[in-house]
Amino acid sequence: MKKHLKVLLLLISVTFLHNINTYANEDASVSVISYDEIYDPIEPINRAVLNFNFFIDDVAIRPIVKTYKFIAPEPVEKGVSNFFSNLKEPIRTISFILQGEFYKSFNSLGRFTINSLTSLGTFDLASRVGMEKNETDFGITLAKGGVSSGPYIVIPIIGPSNLRDFSGDVLEYFVDPISNNVPNREYVAIGGGLNERIDIDEQLDKVRDASSDRYEMIKSIYYQNRNAQLEEEYIQNLPVPKIYIE
Amino acid sequence: MKKLLIIFCIFFSFSSIQASEVSEWFEKESNQFLEIINNNEGTESENYERYKYFINKNFAVKSIAYGLIGESIIKESSKNELTIYLNVFTDYLITTIYKLANSSTSRSITLKDVDVKDNIFIIKSEIIDKKTSVNLYWKVIDTGSSFKIIDIIVENTSYFVTKKSEFNKILRKNRGSLEALIKEIQKIK
Repeated sequence: MKKHLKVLLLLISVTFLHNINTYANEDASVSVISYDEIYDPIEPINRAVLNFNFFIDDVAIRPIVKTYKFIAPEPVEKGVSNFFSNLKEPIRTISFILQGEFYKSFNSLGRFTINSLTSLGTFDLASRVGMEKNETDFGITLAKGGVSSGPYIVIPIIGPSNLRDFSGDVLEYFVDPISNNVPNREYVAIGGGLNERIDIDEQLDKVRDASSDRYEMIKSIYYQNRNAQLEEEYIQNLPVPKIYIE
Repeated sequence: MKKLLIIFCIFFSFSSIQASEVSEWFEKESNQFLEIINNNEGTESENYERYKYFINKNFAVKSIAYGLIGESIIKESSKNELTIYLNVFTDYLITTIYKLANSSTSRSITLKDVDVKDNIFIIKSEIIDKKTSVNLYWKVIDTGSSFKIIDIIVENTSYFVTKKSEFNKILRKNRGSLEALIKEIQKIK
């Protein structure tokens, strides 16, 4: 009952999001965000959560990540990363079906089958035979369905998101055939989250002190990366400066 | 019809000449950049000077700097303020690239593709270090006398877009004061 209530609440929030007047690009067929006008009504709360996340990262997560990276040989690190990425292929398959991307859907399913059967997902053999990984998630699916991003939010421990993408993440958690069929699904989720943190470790180190306002920088980077997954000609369409004589 | 075909052919041959010129420039300058990154023989100030020379030669610093603050701030600011801002920003850009390059050990930069949109060349390259390869895009303009970089996009993250949102925030917080922005930039350095 509790589970159904949560799903119902999510559906309501998604419907609400669909009608909300956010700052999405009106001309785009999908909901792409204009960088100068990111809707951020709860900025003070988000800033506090971001500081809390950096604090937790400094005292707990970062030392684990650094120790792991120091101890684990490169092939082990790669194998673990592949393993968790492979667990996401079934939900990617579903996402692509919902987006109407049937070729990519078959590709994800094929990748999962090949990699699971040959190495339990620790080695990406599928890429070697031409079945490249395509990233997607429920947030992207909602965006392609025309759902606006809603406000920017920073989730405790997890990090930057927006209402649409976060709703997508929660929906995924309930729909994911893998996490619904394994015992102790929480451990799989924590492992997957830690793995994502390990994957961005070097970038995060560079971001820490590279800016006068890391909150703004992280927000901008988050939206740029999401837009890159949504727009076909993303690089070409990025804003450029007006040219002045040097 | 024939005229149209001729115009079409001239346009495409001109574009391909330009693309090959920019490719040639890119190969030369990226090799020079790798030499600077991998040269650890000089003192810190000597290495810094090499970066400074490279950036002043190849980056459209004024366009980037002015683009980050926008037209209205440029109009409202005095010539003196703009000169100070430009100098501070140039130093900041050099320091940022210097720090980033010092924290990585790049082995090679490979040119993958050149595209042109609205007179801006988009160069796709791949930078490879010990462990990983990273996609790097360069947006380049032809100034007539040379090619200049106006933006670098590392794995979908544009330097110009990211800095613009940071600078916008500072300017909005300080009611459009360029002086406040200059102070903030100096703090990061």
